[in-house]
Amino acid sequence: MIASIARKEFSEIVRDGRFKWTAGIMALLLLTALAAGYQKYSAYMDIQRMSQDQTNAQWLNQGDKNPHAGAHYGNYAFKPAGPLAFFDNGINNYAGTALFMEAHKQNFAIGRPATDQSSIGRFGDLSGAMILQLLMPLLIIFLGFTAFSGERESGTLRQVLSMGVSNRQLLWGKALGIGGVVLLIVGLCVVAGGLALSLTGPSTESESLGARVTLMALSYVLYGGIFLFLTLAVSAWARNARTALMVLIGFWAFAGFLAPKAAVEISKAIHPTPAFGKWMADMRSHQMRGFDGVPPFVRFEQESREIFAEYGAESIAELPVYVGALRLQKFEEYDFPVFEQHYGQLRDSYTNQRRLQDRIGIVAPTLPLRSLSMALAGTDLIRHVNFADAAEAYRRDMVLKVNNYLGEAAASLNTGYGGGNVLIADEAIFAMVPPFRFDSRGLQATLAEHAGNFIALMLWLAAALGLALWSVQRLKVEED
Amino acid sequence: MKRIIISHEARQLFRSGAFRALLLMVAGAVAFAAWSGQRSIDRQVEGANAAIAFEDGRRGKMRADTEQYQAQVAAEGGEYQFASAQHAPGAGPPQGTNAGVVGSTTAKYLRMPPTGLAPFSIGQSDIQLSYVPVSMNPTMYITKDNELENPVNLMTGSFDIAFVVIFLLPIFILAISYDLLSSEKERGTLAMILAHPISLRELMASKIIARAGVLLAGVLVLGIVALLAVGTNLNLADTWARFSLWMAATLLYALFWFAMSVLVNVYGKNSAANGIALAGTWLALVVVVPTLVSLLATTLYPAPSRMELTTAARQAQTEAESTYMARLSEYYYDHLEFVPEGDERAMDFLTVAMANRNAIEKAVRPLYDGFQSQLNLQESLVQRFQFISPAIMMQLALNEISGTSADRYEHFLNQAYDFRVEWSEFFTVKFLQRAPLRPQDYDQLPAFEYREEPFATVLMRLVPSLLGMLVLLTGAILIPFLRLRRYQVATS
Repeated sequence: MIASIARKEFSEIVRDGRFKWTAGIMALLLLTALAAGYQKYSAYMDIQRMSQDQTNAQWLNQGDKNPHAGAHYGNYAFKPAGPLAFFDNGINNYAGTALFMEAHKQNFAIGRPATDQSSIGRFGDLSGAMILQLLMPLLIIFLGFTAFSGERESGTLRQVLSMGVSNRQLLWGKALGIGGVVLLIVGLCVVAGGLALSLTGPSTESESLGARVTLMALSYVLYGGIFLFLTLAVSAWARNARTALMVLIGFWAFAGFLAPKAAVEISKAIHPTPAFGKWMADMRSHQMRGFDGVPPFVRFEQESREIFAEYGAESIAELPVYVGALRLQKFEEYDFPVFEQHYGQLRDSYTNQRRLQDRIGIVAPTLPLRSLSMALAGTDLIRHVNFADAAEAYRRDMVLKVNNYLGEAAASLNTGYGGGNVLIADEAIFAMVPPFRFDSRGLQATLAEHAGNFIALMLWLAAALGLALWSVQRLKVEED
Repeated sequence: MKRIIISHEARQLFRSGAFRALLLMVAGAVAFAAWSGQRSIDRQVEGANAAIAFEDGRRGKMRADTEQYQAQVAAEGGEYQFASAQHAPGAGPPQGTNAGVVGSTTAKYLRMPPTGLAPFSIGQSDIQLSYVPVSMNPTMYITKDNELENPVNLMTGSFDIAFVVIFLLPIFILAISYDLLSSEKERGTLAMILAHPISLRELMASKIIARAGVLLAGVLVLGIVALLAVGTNLNLADTWARFSLWMAATLLYALFWFAMSVLVNVYGKNSAANGIALAGTWLALVVVVPTLVSLLATTLYPAPSRMELTTAARQAQTEAESTYMARLSEYYYDHLEFVPEGDERAMDFLTVAMANRNAIEKAVRPLYDGFQSQLNLQESLVQRFQFISPAIMMQLALNEISGTSADRYEHFLNQAYDFRVEWSEFFTVKFLQRAPLRPQDYDQLPAFEYREEPFATVLMRLVPSLLGMLVLLTGAILIPFLRLRRYQVATS
């Protein structure tokens, strides 16, 4: 019985003239978005790989100079786009792409593509993800809002139910029929797009790509299911078709547009981020006065006896390493806690904001889905933070290596702090710092962070299904 | 008769719980948007103040050192000298006497003040800093930093009043007018009304006037309340002029959506079909078309890659170093504080550092200009394509009116670029002449005052958007007006 209801629903929708238009537009947009996304993604990745290779080579070929000067010349980390960025570009337009790693300073990733875009870019990206997040639910609503209300208005509901079909069978049948249509449109495009992409040239980084795609598909099916059952629930509950439509469109606009922005503002108010100027001034003054209130120069003087003692020395002359390099490294380390505090404060506020926004997903399913989608595409905040952390770890290691080298190679020059400047390093020495490579943390860590979002989607689906079952149970056969 | 219908419709509206709920939602949304817009602007101002205070404070400290030094020289006799190089704190003339040191280690933050209406439309001001540092560093350093904001928040966009007007207001309008005629027809009351001495056009007009009147009066009141609550510079004519423009734009935009409702209604379909058509129109005009235009702009005129710019700048640096640095140890160049006391070469290092910056500036400038020129091309494409979506026109107009447009920011940056030349000249000349900076020299530092664009320029830029909306609106009114003649009053 369910199957024949589903078949009837399916063919009725497919034969409707409006369906061809809707499906056509949807398919066209989806394919355009995927093609454009892929074009941008591959162009970006080409430049990223080339630039990273270039900057790694520049590090080696920077010319013969003092090793510490080499650390000032530094290196750049360029952020890879994320394995499924062509489908969901996530925060990539709004996060920096290039991070300068140099002696003495921790830096932000700079070069956000959004600053080089027209302000119209703020309307959003036309991406596969955007279409599935915003347009697919509307498609479901359009196809399904008359499922019960329409039949009631045309009087066929009474006939159907009089044939011994149970309300539940009707619900499942309709769900299958409408769901089938949506899957047909979306699925075909996604598969066609995916095939075309896998045929055209080298595919993306293979960071557990299969698992990512599967989970991504699962999330969107859950999301589609939520809207499907909500639509059927409202259609069964509402007095007439137009009320059903208005309620559903209202909810769609709320979940897709209003709630995300409201969640952002609420999370900013609860976990504020300092303005750049305030943050910069705070951090730099903290750096100057020293983490514990003792300026670096003074602190080194105070601690020099202990520091020398570590090397079994009592004076500069007895040190087995060059004192200038030792001090450079100490100054570097004095700054670590300052950086950790101030950059950490930012990172925490971002993370807390994101978590709060995810939690607000309890009232709007688009929020948890969006978060999940970005995470699986590798274009989310967690990955960006990982990238920044990896760059900072690389920077510290780079500086430590050159300072250590300077300390050992210039050990005999302990005549004063300026003695080591005559030491020159060449390419062979700079090669002790390996090229920068970003290995994002595995999918597992990402999933652990996003378990809540999966649960939120499941809860939403359960609630929508429950609502639909409850609504059809008290289904009114006639208009009142 | 018309008056009866208008007042009847208005009364009906107010009695309907749904409409009252909608009005409350509009009010709530405006209040929330005003609150968040205000927070955003306050944060910007706080950031600007802190940055300015920090850098001015550092220069102030240097000035104080020179003052003390001057007093010491006066007391002990001797010559007021130029500090030869940075050295460990203690001996010698203070660093503040060395113009090269002051000019390259401190910055001056320039600020673009928000207009009185800034909280209404955040525009790009959550990404682009409204305060930029100017020093002897190359031009590209001026825009190196961005405002700190969670990228997730940037991606989502602000909940400002512009969002309420552009995204939400149409939904509210469509919700109260999508079934203007169709509901009467479905209930069978339309034929009855038209049995009275009133034409269909008059009926339609009356219904729209009632709804538009009530809603727009609400919007006007909310707008004024919002302005009084979060607007600034309320004593300036500029603010009120901008506010009037804001209201005019909002009125045009809202009327356009009312007209769309009428347009869809005259085709005589049922309410549900009207609802679908209008929701589809909203989605197309407010969401899909803008993203398509943006896609077109970035595909046709892609910005050069910042990553490529970075590697090019490094290449220039390496080349400059190999030319200028010759046998000088770069170690000193980075760490002047380690230069042995009295080492003459210290001066050379600073000179080299300056030459170096110059070389980078020259090498990178063309690349750098590439960003602005591509951005300008994108903006002009958007300007041309804005006419296919009232949402784009409205966003451009509201950014312009609030002073958060790309054009105003470019106007500010150009002033900053000019000022950088003036500012670094001041220090470069003094440094190359080895003229010691005295306390009074600090008072002669070039001052920056942001020069606002003439209001006429702003108006001129607004003309295409506002005119475009007017044309769209006229079209949307005219078509149904002509079409209404063929409306079937009763379902056949």
